[in-house]
Amino acid sequence: MKDISLGQFYPADSFTHKMDPRAKLVLVVAFIVMAFLAKNFLSYFAVMLCVISATLVSRIPILKVLKSIKAIIFILIFTGILNLLFYNGETVLWSWWQIKITVEGIIFSLKMVLRLVLLVMGTTLLTYTTTPTAITDGMESLMHPLKYIKVPVHDIAVIMSIALRFIPIISEEVDKIMMAQKARGAAFDNGGLLKRAKALLPVLIPLFVSAFRRADELALALDARCYNATPNRTRYKQMKFSLRDVLGVLGTAAFIVLVVALNNNFWGAYEPVASVWWLFSV
Amino acid sequence: MNEEKSDACGKETAPLPEKENDFTTELPSGTGTPSDNAPVIKAEGVTYSYRSGEQVSRGVTGVSVEIYPGEFVVILGRNGSGKSTLAKLLNGFLVPDEGVVTVNGTDTADDDKIFKVRSEVGMVFQNPDNQMVASVIESDVAFGPENLGVPREEIETRITEALEIVGMESYRKGSPNRLSGGQKQRIAIAAILAMRPEVIILDESTAMLDPKGRREIMETILKLKNEKGMAVVLITHYMDEAIGADKIYLMCDGEAIASGSPREVFSNEEAVRLAGLELPVAARVSLNLKKAGLDVGFALTDEELAEEICALK
Repeated sequence: MKDISLGQFYPADSFTHKMDPRAKLVLVVAFIVMAFLAKNFLSYFAVMLCVISATLVSRIPILKVLKSIKAIIFILIFTGILNLLFYNGETVLWSWWQIKITVEGIIFSLKMVLRLVLLVMGTTLLTYTTTPTAITDGMESLMHPLKYIKVPVHDIAVIMSIALRFIPIISEEVDKIMMAQKARGAAFDNGGLLKRAKALLPVLIPLFVSAFRRADELALALDARCYNATPNRTRYKQMKFSLRDVLGVLGTAAFIVLVVALNNNFWGAYEPVASVWWLFSV
Repeated sequence: MNEEKSDACGKETAPLPEKENDFTTELPSGTGTPSDNAPVIKAEGVTYSYRSGEQVSRGVTGVSVEIYPGEFVVILGRNGSGKSTLAKLLNGFLVPDEGVVTVNGTDTADDDKIFKVRSEVGMVFQNPDNQMVASVIESDVAFGPENLGVPREEIETRITEALEIVGMESYRKGSPNRLSGGQKQRIAIAAILAMRPEVIILDESTAMLDPKGRREIMETILKLKNEKGMAVVLITHYMDEAIGADKIYLMCDGEAIASGSPREVFSNEEAVRLAGLELPVAARVSLNLKKAGLDVGFALTDEELAEEICALK
């Protein structure tokens, strides 16, 4: 069985894998902003270039990254079609009742789909190159300043860490309970939706009971290990911001600048070739 | 169990052992005789009852326990005998209704010093899965020392040390998910060791394990005692785990009905019967042989039994 606790993590020894999780988290946010900044096809092309170069640097097979799109395929089709049919454009190609297909509509829905694809590809790079534990550590460290406005940052971090730790345990337990109920004649995979949902009830109830029992024991175990003994808690794991992270930040910054520049046609710095000009304008 | 038991669970407590080391002769005992030092944990006439609404159910009644440095103490008893309640009283999880529990002189009822008590008396529980907080073994072991505010460099050495004692250092960077029960429980022990307690209480920590896992834990306990001079308190219902103990408390219906060396307690047939426990095979065989009229002394281990039988004419 696949180790669920690792999520999507794709182990490799690459530049991105070795980056500080905090840097990667910040860069992902920057990337999302970048994807929303893009206006014309050329700047979308720059965002795509950013995703491709990040993938290459991560040494993750590009096919694997493309596969992540599968998860949102329905959202893509849905947004694509809706925007195509209902965009309020001027150059009407075909219309029927309230529905019309326009040139602007086609361009807009293409952009929407492209943006979603790029967003998903870029963000999955984070989960491919960073273990959930490292992401949690990174988030805790980034949230650290919130401590001063009385946000229990450390408690949140412990909660996240425990949640990650118990995901595989609970999922194993679900399997066990389901098998036990099957042995008693429960059927989980026939009948309509309602019937199937009802069949899950004898799984959920024992699951909750056992989860609460675990929580009880875990609470004692936390106490036994002096949780919250001192406000001056130390941290064993230390994250270091290295040259690698600086390079990553600089690279991403360069792409953002490029996107903004392309959006604005380089502020008229040069006269573009006519055929390329069209790409700028749409 | 029934009427017969409740009044029969007598108070005839065997005298405390005069530290005869007959059964531990094969173990190099690194520490001095316990009775020289002050006890780490001292419980005097401790009584505790569970209350839920109107209902009051007895946990333990008038139990006195002393745990000395470097001692391996076993608290034996069946389910519901109050042994786990006693364990929870020893590190301040429960505060006695009557009597006093002190850890190195600190009263466990003192809320301000409860973390001092818990860092000196570590506790490992039954289910190893429910004691781990992190998905990476070294982070899990680091959790305790982090909570105590131990400097980073020292946590590093503590993790190495703790994992080495339990023999799990090669799993350091791994995930606990695919380990066996015994291995997980050893990690749980390491996680407590990293806090450098003086006493480690194993609250039925062998109950969920297979024979191999139980053996691993027993080996770890002996290692802790002999190499680190740590006091270990094992709560269990397996009598064979108590053979190597320095001292046994036999619990029945919330009371300590017998205490002393394994030899003293196990040969107290009446108490063992009352407690509803089963003697190790060697002990049973030797007692039955004696009843059958043979001149066989009391034997704790298979080797002793073999010697006794060989000594027969």
